[in-house]
Amino acid sequence: MKFSHNWLQTFFDTPLPAPAVIEEKLTFHSSEVEEVLSVGADTVFDVKVLPDKSAWLMSHRGLARELSVILDLPLKHDPLVGEVTLGEPLTDVRVVLDTPVCDFYGAAVIEGVTVGPSPEWLRARLEAIGQRSINNIVDATNYVMFELGQPLHAFDANTFTTDTAGNREVRVRPAKAGERLTTLSQEELALIAEDVVITDGVAGTPLALAGVKGGLNSGVTESTTRILLEAAHFDRVATRLASRRHKLPTDAAKRYENGLSRSVTPYGLVAGAKLIAEIAGGQVVGYTTAGDSTVKRPAVSVSVSDINRVLGIAIDAAAVAAILARFGYQVVQDGEVFTVTATHERDDLLIKQDLIEEVGRVYGLTHIVSIAPVPAPVIELNTRLYYAEVIRRTLTGLGFSEVYTSSFREKDIAHIKNALASDKSYLRSRLQDNLLEVRAKNIPFRDLLGLRAVQVFEIGTVFGATEEAFHVGLAVQTGTEYKAKVDDALLAMAVEALETALGVAISPVHTAPGYIEFSLEAVLPDLPVPSAYEVAQKSAAILYKPFSAYPSVSRDIAMWVGEGTGLESVEAALKTAAGSLLVRLTHLDTFTKDGRTSLAFRLVFQSNEKTLDGAEVDELMAAVYSAVAGQGWEVR
Amino acid sequence: MEKIGHTHPLSAMIAEINSIFAEIGFTFAEGPERELIKHNFDDLNVPADHPSRDMQDTFYLSADDTLVMRTHTSPVQVRHMLTHTPPIRMICPGKVFRNEATDATHEAQFFQLEGLMVDKDVSLAHMKGVLEYFFSRFFGGEVQVRFRPSFFPFVEPGVEVDMMIAPQEGNKLSGRWIEVMGAGMVHPNVLRAANIDPLVYQGFAFGMGIDRLGVLRYGIDDIRLMYNGDLRFVNQF
Repeated sequence: MKFSHNWLQTFFDTPLPAPAVIEEKLTFHSSEVEEVLSVGADTVFDVKVLPDKSAWLMSHRGLARELSVILDLPLKHDPLVGEVTLGEPLTDVRVVLDTPVCDFYGAAVIEGVTVGPSPEWLRARLEAIGQRSINNIVDATNYVMFELGQPLHAFDANTFTTDTAGNREVRVRPAKAGERLTTLSQEELALIAEDVVITDGVAGTPLALAGVKGGLNSGVTESTTRILLEAAHFDRVATRLASRRHKLPTDAAKRYENGLSRSVTPYGLVAGAKLIAEIAGGQVVGYTTAGDSTVKRPAVSVSVSDINRVLGIAIDAAAVAAILARFGYQVVQDGEVFTVTATHERDDLLIKQDLIEEVGRVYGLTHIVSIAPVPAPVIELNTRLYYAEVIRRTLTGLGFSEVYTSSFREKDIAHIKNALASDKSYLRSRLQDNLLEVRAKNIPFRDLLGLRAVQVFEIGTVFGATEEAFHVGLAVQTGTEYKAKVDDALLAMAVEALETALGVAISPVHTAPGYIEFSLEAVLPDLPVPSAYEVAQKSAAILYKPFSAYPSVSRDIAMWVGEGTGLESVEAALKTAAGSLLVRLTHLDTFTKDGRTSLAFRLVFQSNEKTLDGAEVDELMAAVYSAVAGQGWEVR
Repeated sequence: MEKIGHTHPLSAMIAEINSIFAEIGFTFAEGPERELIKHNFDDLNVPADHPSRDMQDTFYLSADDTLVMRTHTSPVQVRHMLTHTPPIRMICPGKVFRNEATDATHEAQFFQLEGLMVDKDVSLAHMKGVLEYFFSRFFGGEVQVRFRPSFFPFVEPGVEVDMMIAPQEGNKLSGRWIEVMGAGMVHPNVLRAANIDPLVYQGFAFGMGIDRLGVLRYGIDDIRLMYNGDLRFVNQF
């Protein structure tokens, strides 16, 4: 939520510290500040209010209270402290609650209002925090929500039907299936029985989706003169489900679903009614309510030693007392035990750990001094990890590369109810499909990577209808197509090496040309329990280098060189001649005949900027040929 | 031609993480990737229809509405505590799933490292010590750790963890605070769900992305490379 520095300042006599200090204090003692923005003469903090604090922190009063605690600055005035008294009772409006979803509903009527633009100070407040000014009535309701956290809704009172006695009725009830509501922002809602609506009780028609959004027909217009102001409290879960069902994540719904306290509601009602009367030139006629807005907060006890034992600090009772006093909680101290009853708007102090957090964050978590761990033996070894590592070492020793692939497939056994994409609707039941795709994809990169064959493996989870298992899959391919003679031999060698390393025979569960897959789960029971892990080598300081997205082009060259000509000197000459587009030089073979040595190389060219065409590579090769000739070597 | 193959950086990191934690007595634990909703959410003090469940977008299974693809490795805490008695020292590196759009820094699947230590007097000071030990060994050099207040339903108090590698010439990661993980003291409801008496025992838990460790350590600029099987990536390691 966005908070205005100027707005927060209205809660304090003392000037608040500079924005940078506030940012730092909030970050280390309350909530993360995602952004600090300059808006005209104001500074705005975008604060990530997490679910545990959302019930009371999503308002300027809430954050002012936090700042008061953190900075140890007194609040000039706390609008949620002290009794709230409603004015005259309304005689011609009654409120009926027909659903447990609404436990308190307050209404005020303000008459003689003139709908028009908001005063400048109000516009500035709302616009600073990214809200659009609409008119003085709607702005007043929004202002109170961002000031105190209580959502308000203004109805045009004259749109309510009167009964024969001239009375109006607000009825909160479950919606009837098939009822419809057009919202203020013109969404057409088809209501279901799980929804709760505010209705014109006399006419029986829905006027608003409770806790979420008001309806168009009863909304404030330029000709409105009489306002029926709603401040109510709705159940968090019901509001959340309705807001999700109708895809209306409004500011009001967000506050209810986070458990806004109903004790705040009367404060919001009075503040809203007074503000409307003040800026729209009307008079508050009176108030009426239904339900109960009182709350009882539990008394929670915590001892100084509890605090120190959990946080690992050494705070004393006097310091704890001083911190707790800043919150305005009711605190009873008995030696080192504190019994705390939270203020009415705080629903989040239920167990002693909650109090430990309060004390810890004000004291400062950065003051925790670390206790170094002591070496200790591992009580049980993970057999699967141990043997997965054996398999990795064996296969990488044979030139295999390990890959991790997606757990999802387009079509398989176990279906995902809410998949990201239609080609990821199922869980894989085997590694084979992914690994064959990976193998094919890497065939064109053999020259670039200096590989004779693509040899890949994966160790990962596969999923049946109900069971899951760890599988190992190996895929090899030497040429652009599978060649049984070469590829089967490579695969057989790998399987034999694995059988030797593990000491058991491997029975494949899936095979394909150049592919074998077995279940690690099935093999494990036959393997001895390891006594210690191999110590993992600290991997070298590798820094990943982004690679070119363009294809590489390969050219081979073979030449006769004089006996005694070193391989390195030939490679150096080729690299110099080929230039910076040469990304790999692979020595293919060497043989000696009649006192002369033949050397063969593969040169791989690639650009970071484009696909190289044949003519460009021919030009580069011409330079290579001429350098070779210049050295007196004879191209074969 | 090349004779030696390549271990995937995730495997290399997991093996190294295990080695470091094994030195201080942490067991390597595991759990299913297709997990009971009960273990993934309810036992972790994440009630149904609570906004905190929105913190992690979830894949559900069509055939069984008691299952999800685990959204974190935290359910392994519950499984491990149900089958072990304190003192407990456990890590669990494993694959987790989030139903969110993928980009260079987000994948629908990634690896997380869970850590859990429970005993009679395990505090945030012990967690700070364990994390400093781990990061110092993993990144090399002396690493400092600091906590900021945060919220995760399965811990109370909850913290964000930042680390700073002592300034090193030529090391771009060093000399600045980097946000690395969420952590906290295990919530008493979680201990209770795992049959451990919260009046006797307490402990810390942490969770971080192993992919993120890879981004920091190897300078990987797109985590999708970890899962697409491209050897132009894997063979650099």
